[in-house]
Amino acid sequence: MKRSKWSYAFLLALLLMLGACGNSGDAGGSVSGDGEEGSGDGESVTIDLYQFKVEFKEQFESLVAQYEEENPNVTINVETVGGGNDYGATLKSKIASGNEPDIFNIGGPQDYEDHKDRIAPIEDSAAVDAALEGTLDAVTVDDQVYGVPYNLEGYGLIYNKGIFEEAGINPDDLTTMEDLQAAVDTLDGMKEELGLDAVFAFPGKERWVYGNHSSSSFLAPEFNDSVIEAFESDTVEFELSEELKNYIDMQVNYSEQPVLSLDYSQQVEALYSMEKVAMIQQGNWAYPSIEQIAPEVAENSGIIPIPVAGEAEMPVGVPQYWVVNSGAEDNVQQASVDFLDWMYTSDAGKEAVLNDFNFIPAYEDYDTSQISDPLSQEIYEYSEAGNTSGWVFLGYPTGFSEETFGDNVQQYISGDITWEEVVENSQAYWEENR
Amino acid sequence: MKTKNIMYWVFIAPVLAALLIVVVVPFIWGIYYSLTEWSGDMAQTPVFTGFDNYKSLMSDPTFLSALWFTFKYAIVTVIIINVVGFSLALIVTSYIKSKNLLRTIFFMPNLIGGLILGFIWQFIFTNIFNALGELMGVEMLQGWLATPATGFWGLVILHVWQMAGYIMIIYIAYLQSIPDELLEAADMDGASYFQKLKNVVMPLVAPAFTVSMFLTLSGAFKIYDQNLSLTGGGPGGTTKMIAMDIVDTAFAMNTMGLAQAKAVIFFIIVAILSLTQVYYNKKKEVEL
Repeated sequence: MKRSKWSYAFLLALLLMLGACGNSGDAGGSVSGDGEEGSGDGESVTIDLYQFKVEFKEQFESLVAQYEEENPNVTINVETVGGGNDYGATLKSKIASGNEPDIFNIGGPQDYEDHKDRIAPIEDSAAVDAALEGTLDAVTVDDQVYGVPYNLEGYGLIYNKGIFEEAGINPDDLTTMEDLQAAVDTLDGMKEELGLDAVFAFPGKERWVYGNHSSSSFLAPEFNDSVIEAFESDTVEFELSEELKNYIDMQVNYSEQPVLSLDYSQQVEALYSMEKVAMIQQGNWAYPSIEQIAPEVAENSGIIPIPVAGEAEMPVGVPQYWVVNSGAEDNVQQASVDFLDWMYTSDAGKEAVLNDFNFIPAYEDYDTSQISDPLSQEIYEYSEAGNTSGWVFLGYPTGFSEETFGDNVQQYISGDITWEEVVENSQAYWEENR
Repeated sequence: MKTKNIMYWVFIAPVLAALLIVVVVPFIWGIYYSLTEWSGDMAQTPVFTGFDNYKSLMSDPTFLSALWFTFKYAIVTVIIINVVGFSLALIVTSYIKSKNLLRTIFFMPNLIGGLILGFIWQFIFTNIFNALGELMGVEMLQGWLATPATGFWGLVILHVWQMAGYIMIIYIAYLQSIPDELLEAADMDGASYFQKLKNVVMPLVAPAFTVSMFLTLSGAFKIYDQNLSLTGGGPGGTTKMIAMDIVDTAFAMNTMGLAQAKAVIFFIIVAILSLTQVYYNKKKEVEL
């Protein structure tokens, strides 16, 4: 009896030791993303797909299931981790652990630079051929395309049509900062009649809202609306610094207070959807959240561009690109491109992109009259009319938009530093990290 | 020492192997990476840059402010958690009726994960505090987490609420091991409650102070999830603690080498502080 106890203990010790060694072996040898199961036995292919858009996870998975049904030899494992920084950080740790996905997402030139060793060029792709002009610029290097766009998104000032009407404001007239300021004053004066808490909800806690979007609108002119030019620039001038300051001041001063602890869900769900504020700076991605809470408010929403330097152009861009891992086996890479092509160019795929994902397509040959929500429809109209400005924030140096500019704006709002310091600190960071 | 036969080594081997693999080896690798410029990408070779990372740390305002913030935070929380924890332990070891129920209630916050806790308290601070402030006209309750000061105290309150019950358990264990004769003898001598507390109870639970101060001190330095979910380091990075600064440096800024250098410095600081604290506390302990 005693003896057997001893031997169990010994066996356990040995197992533990082996287990520990096995793990360290895995983490050690992990340079490229090979090791797809089933890649050896001819036809069947397994694709590991890692994507960032939480909003369309379910719809996307059902489209994947449909594809797997049509192509029984292909298995696609979808993994979703949401939102900006979280996705970037987890992607990096996934890569570092050697468990690299075959298809993943990048934002633009800066992300491409960070991951270029493992991004395969995409050739012979129907999706690339069908992509709208300009949407591929951010992922084109030396005439070679490295990614395909998700969709188009636009952001601006989402407003409540009913409230605007009651206040007698015509949103189409708000094409300059002075007009906007006048409208804000009007709304502010009528707060009680309109049942508003404030004119704006400025989410000071969400650095991406102003770090990426507000700043991009006002920096775009100096980079000629080109994300590539922003990416290649060694300095940032902040030519429209004064205008940007005024725009942020306006939102902060006429916002629900305290702005610094206000977050995205309060902005969109608690305040805008409940008609406590008249305007918020957000994009068409906010539509599903508004609709879930207050369908009638969502239906009754419009979007106007942020007036920059006397022009009202809608900032439209591609939020993320799909890229294929160059470390994956050739047949996996091919199968990945095939899937992306199918999603964006087949009839079934197009149907899902428009109606299930609620995307504004970044591709030709879509029946755009089917775009269902009013915000996306308006943004699409702006881009159809060519009345757009570029998203330059995807060309900012890593860590510029949130950690540098965003943090500085927060300090400016809390009164710790002046606007000049915000600009100087941001310029210094840009120069140092380019 | 006679016990060190073959079976001794057989039993100790798994632990040693595990320790070597998950602690010692990564630590040495970490020191190497801290001397390089590297984005954390396995496909790239780290570029050896010597002590450059450490030099740039010394003039890195975000790191220094995170360090200072964490330092202040650690001092305040160690004191408050231990005072509250000890007081709670005294309450639930006295002769009140609902002491078992109270023990459970005080301990419960410790069962909730840090992220969730942060979100719960975020709601309390921003919504409930705000509503209460408006209702009662108290200016101080409004705008919590929107300033560095309220962010700091918000974090302190959250952490105390979470940890005090846990520390209480440690004190209870020691309080219950005090022999009744000693307290009775003190009573006979006519000692008041506070005299008993100061001269009998406190010296006897000194080992508990050593343990719980060590736990709270190292815990306060390593805090991350509560920080992330409650304030996210804002406003303007003023409530960012070291752990969060290291993660941001590694993943948001893509400078893994620099982050690793921060981590090494962080390790050294925590090691020095904890060892000093344990050394001094140990000296105050009395043997029964």
